[in-house]
Amino acid sequence: MAAWDLSIILEDLGPDTPPITLSVSSDLHVGGVIIKLVEKTQMKRDWSDYALWWEQKQQWLLRTAWTLEKYGIHADARLLFIPQHKPLKLGLPSGMTLKVWASFSSPVFQAVMTICRILNIRHPEELSLLRPLEEKKKKKDKDKVGEIYDLTGVLSTSSSPVSLYNDVPAHFADSAEMEAIYKMLSVTQTQPAPEIITKQYRPSSVVDKAHINGRWLDSSRCLRQQGVQENDLLWLRFKYYSFCDIEPKYDAVRLTQLYEQARWAILLEDIDCTEEEMMLFGALQYHIGKVSQSEPERMSTNAAMENLESALQSLEVKMEGGSSSASDMLDTMMAPELSDYLKIFRPKKLTLKGYKQYWFKFQDTSISYFKSKEESVGEPIQQINLKGGEVAPDVNVASQKFLIRLLIPSPEGMNEVYLRCENEQQYAHWMAGCLLASKGKSLADSSFQSEIQSIRSFLAVQKTNSGSSSHTLASDESMNTHSLVSPRYHKKYKPKQLTPRILEAYQNISQLSMTDAMMRFLQTWQALPDFGISYVVVRFKGSRKDEVLGIASNRLIRIDLGVGDVVKTWRYNNMKQWNVNWDIRQVAIEFEGNVNVAFSCVTADCKIVHEFIGGYIFMSTRSREKSGTLNEELFHKLTGGHEAL
Amino acid sequence: MDDIDAMFSDLLGEMDLLTQSLGQETVPPASVPGPTEEPNFSIGFTDLNESLNELEDNDLDALMADLVADLNATEERLAAQIEELQVPSPPPPHKSPTNIQHCAASPESLTSNNSGSNASTPSSSTTSPFPPPPPKSSKPTMEEIEAQVKADKIKLALEKLKEAKVKKLVVKVLMNDGSAKTLMVDERQTVREVLDNMFEKTHCDCNVDWSLCETNHELQLQRTFEDHENLVEPLLAWTRDSENKVLFQEIGEKYEVFKNPQNFYLWKKDKKTLKDFKDKDKEILIQENFCGTSIIVPDLEGVLHLKEDGKKSWKQRLFQLRASGIYYVSKGKTKSSRDLVCFVQFDNVNVYYGKDFKNKYKAPTDFCFVFKHPQIQKESQYIKYLCCDDAWSMNLWVTGIRIAKYGASLYEDYKTAEKKAAMSSKWTNRCMPSSSNTSTPSPTIKAKSPGQANGHAPKPQPEPFSQDVGNLPPPPPPLDGVLPPPPPSLAAKLSARNSFSKRHLLNKFPPPPSAIDNNLPPPPPPPPVDDTEEPPQFLPPPPPVAGFASLPPPPPVAGFASLPPPPPVAGIGSLPPPPVMSTLPPPPPPMNSLPPLPASFRDMGQSLPPPPPAREVFQSPPPQTVFIGSGAPPPPPPPPPPPPCAATKVVAPRSALYTPGSLKKTPPAPPKRSTPSLHGGGGGGGGGDGGGGDFMSELMLAMQKKRSDH
Repeated sequence: MAAWDLSIILEDLGPDTPPITLSVSSDLHVGGVIIKLVEKTQMKRDWSDYALWWEQKQQWLLRTAWTLEKYGIHADARLLFIPQHKPLKLGLPSGMTLKVWASFSSPVFQAVMTICRILNIRHPEELSLLRPLEEKKKKKDKDKVGEIYDLTGVLSTSSSPVSLYNDVPAHFADSAEMEAIYKMLSVTQTQPAPEIITKQYRPSSVVDKAHINGRWLDSSRCLRQQGVQENDLLWLRFKYYSFCDIEPKYDAVRLTQLYEQARWAILLEDIDCTEEEMMLFGALQYHIGKVSQSEPERMSTNAAMENLESALQSLEVKMEGGSSSASDMLDTMMAPELSDYLKIFRPKKLTLKGYKQYWFKFQDTSISYFKSKEESVGEPIQQINLKGGEVAPDVNVASQKFLIRLLIPSPEGMNEVYLRCENEQQYAHWMAGCLLASKGKSLADSSFQSEIQSIRSFLAVQKTNSGSSSHTLASDESMNTHSLVSPRYHKKYKPKQLTPRILEAYQNISQLSMTDAMMRFLQTWQALPDFGISYVVVRFKGSRKDEVLGIASNRLIRIDLGVGDVVKTWRYNNMKQWNVNWDIRQVAIEFEGNVNVAFSCVTADCKIVHEFIGGYIFMSTRSREKSGTLNEELFHKLTGGHEAL
Repeated sequence: MDDIDAMFSDLLGEMDLLTQSLGQETVPPASVPGPTEEPNFSIGFTDLNESLNELEDNDLDALMADLVADLNATEERLAAQIEELQVPSPPPPHKSPTNIQHCAASPESLTSNNSGSNASTPSSSTTSPFPPPPPKSSKPTMEEIEAQVKADKIKLALEKLKEAKVKKLVVKVLMNDGSAKTLMVDERQTVREVLDNMFEKTHCDCNVDWSLCETNHELQLQRTFEDHENLVEPLLAWTRDSENKVLFQEIGEKYEVFKNPQNFYLWKKDKKTLKDFKDKDKEILIQENFCGTSIIVPDLEGVLHLKEDGKKSWKQRLFQLRASGIYYVSKGKTKSSRDLVCFVQFDNVNVYYGKDFKNKYKAPTDFCFVFKHPQIQKESQYIKYLCCDDAWSMNLWVTGIRIAKYGASLYEDYKTAEKKAAMSSKWTNRCMPSSSNTSTPSPTIKAKSPGQANGHAPKPQPEPFSQDVGNLPPPPPPLDGVLPPPPPSLAAKLSARNSFSKRHLLNKFPPPPSAIDNNLPPPPPPPPVDDTEEPPQFLPPPPPVAGFASLPPPPPVAGFASLPPPPPVAGIGSLPPPPVMSTLPPPPPPMNSLPPLPASFRDMGQSLPPPPPAREVFQSPPPQTVFIGSGAPPPPPPPPPPPPCAATKVVAPRSALYTPGSLKKTPPAPPKRSTPSLHGGGGGGGGGDGGGGDFMSELMLAMQKKRSDH
């Protein structure tokens, strides 16, 4: 066979270096080309990660056994000899930016799997990469996006399951630095300042939201094929809203990042919710933020007692614990006393005008009041049982108003009662007591103290807020109730109006652990009616106007673009088949009962829509398998389109 | 020792009082004695007299039987205590059957013969004889013994404190046919348990639709209790003169959403699609909406009529159901989420069906539902009224609201109810014949011929249970040293519970120990061939509280009785009422695998950790309380020993069972089946509520380790 000259560019030598020319014949296989090339460079180095990239065809020549002829390469081919792995900047849901090695030659699906393995995120199939929004104009002043954490030193451990040392994956445990980065990944970020939220891009319509979905990378093609360059920034996000088996124990990073994604979706109004729901989200964020800062490392796993002696000893301590007889023990179990002079006001009773002072005493789940402390031994003037009632704060630290509003149920209805406390200290105790009592717990309940604490710390927030005018701005910014809610509410409420509302929601969740609070946040998020719907603007066959297709984990939704009403819903389990006509870029779906739907996609490539549908069907097969291994092949089959064939 | 003696005599005194109070209850005084203790209790159930008056004779008998059972239970407990006291450190080195029997015998001798107690107490009493478990023998030091005694006392006191507050009500439940059943309900019992109880009393088909409903006469409301709710609490909200009723009836809507989820989740689809919906698709719907990380509420939106505050007019609004509450679209706003106005959130209110509101409130239709705080019993501005166009949409909304309010519990309830239904149908098929035999089980027989238990034991559950305990003596070994012997606590608990009741609550402290007979039923008889296959879970959980003497034990029981070989296991398994099983998966497993001393253990776990809420200090036996309970003391003729005593006793173990709900989080020692030594661990697990259980299991492990070292 005739030999001809093949020139190959070796980027590593510098942009201006002339290409290396080899004399090859068409039956030479790619591996042979590489060997010749390496010999010719006379450079001793590890070339193992290098491969040939065919520029015109945008294709890797990864099958080294294939001949040039089989690939169809001729002398005019522009070939590059370049590494397959390159650093990539990765924006996480939390806003952190990482630098990681990513494969530019394997399908994005695999690249994501590798990245997730490094980050210790299970179920990588739920995530994918998307191109970030172009930063508009004012990029000049703020070029620094924030610190970039370099993880390129971390080697992706082979496919073996990640082993944890002290809750940190082995590959992060090498140095303190790495461990610190891992901590950042697995701990929620502090609340963003309200200005930052305001500045972020917020989709204002379904169409805006639809545009975001046009940015997903194609899972079945590699990064380089999609024009991603070394050191480009991509976002790593949860793409399929079908979260398999969240287990806080193993999913520290996954859970945290998911929470961050959900939180931003709420803050940026990516998903709509009601005001009440927003207040709950705000309260949960506040709580999570607070607990994540204070929570000690993590409970040491099971301080299991090693031997009998220690076990017995500790039991002994329990039994003796400050009391040698049953009666003593009982005494110590008595609830903490709570009694004081407070003022009471009952709006409905005309007899009591304004606040009157009495001696109040907490007993079990009831409050009794007496004329004075001296008379507190006798019959109370009244006893109010708080169990089952509603307790609401009415507090303004700046004006020193500490009211507890009680709604006490009785057979006739709810009775409204206000208790006025003198100061923060008193308020925190009584409020905590009332909250517990309304849930049927007495002051003896172990959560009494922590309840007091959380009330006080929340008051402290309000203090800094209200004092913002006189105090340092810095501390004001550090914790602002505006940073807990979406910008809509910045306009609607001042911080001091917002605080009591969030506080109200906070009461119900203040005792949750961090994990529980995060789970609660996620559950509330998932229970929103619009949760998990990815929008794409499409044009249905036979229709003249654009409409919106909502893609959810179990159904497709046709939405009227103008009104926003749901026109029609199709469930996947009624779906017989779906096809994509790649030439006319049209998706056709057949449902049971001879229902046929076809549409072309406007804001996203039809491959993206195809991948969403196939991806969700793949997700639904997971639970049944339970094997834990990811059926990559099936995923590609379902999402790959013509390239998979 | 002296203390204990004193305590014992106190208890005796108390029993007398109780007996007196018993008498009183049977012959209801004209007026309900005002509660001396808690003023607000007065709101509570007041119907006692009335309901007692209305009782049919056999109901009375049944109640008496309950009472006696309670008494007996207490006695047994006492006996156990005594026994324990006398032989503080009897370390039975190994558990050989003989040994066991011996133990069993001793309590019997101590106690007088009271047959009534039989089945119910076994668990507690059984365990008691073996308090100082075998391991102890290895090296029981005086200190340890002392510590144990001390611990016992503390425990006893704690239990009493806890029990002191338990309220019981005598509840009259109206049946469809106009008749009524009366039963005693313990504050801690769930509606599910009461339903199970009713199943036994009525021999109905136990299908999932059977429900307890509350009607509010004055407001013309009706609500179906959810199975996981406690029954007593809502009843306590009734006013003194209330004409409210509790009904036992089949309510098809109760679990309709699980039978035909498409009607709720795809309600917009046309009728035909819904009707032809495939089972497979139904399953998928349930999976999607009830088995994910978050419960999904049906997407309801529609125009409803709202009764305006304090006015007679109704006006239409567009309402939307969300997980967080019901919202409406205010005038001139869009229906986007952010503009919705919250109408009601579900935390503090229940949803009720309104009856005949067209007349009462001039409602557009009679398909109304209402939100109100459970305590509100009269008209009030705090009640919110909504009206739908038809029954179908009313059902849609009310079901949707229940899903939003109760979430996963609703599905758990359903699964439990389904299991129960399946099991009972099996039974009826299977063991109908045997039921007749079982009708009047005589305790004595049981005790004497334990072997019979399998064949015909009338009170299946308790028995198996006790047997288990008896058979598997090695249990508490670890405990001995420092841990307070379990039995006392149990006893204390039971007795305390019995003794303190308020008012109508029946308590009795029985005279001297009697029926201990069953306590130590001989080892489980050899496996009967017949229904071995029955998995333990199928065992019908006998209704806890009120057993009616006159009622012949329901068929299920019979079936149960015949359960053979794995009696111990079975017994234990069966104890947890089905609901418990499904909702609290953890408990059953440990139990099954680790039969020994579950009861006592559990109790310990329970009592240990959380300081009992009760604040009144009752260190010594509670005679005072008794007084409260009963007004005048006409000496009651000791009721005839009623056979069906299952009630109280069963309750105890059962209630213990629940606590482990928390268990999930702290899994006990790994259950190993066959190894006896593991019992301890399992027991700890079973009982563990929170930290206590955990600690126990650790202790167990430690013990075992140590033992093996030797």
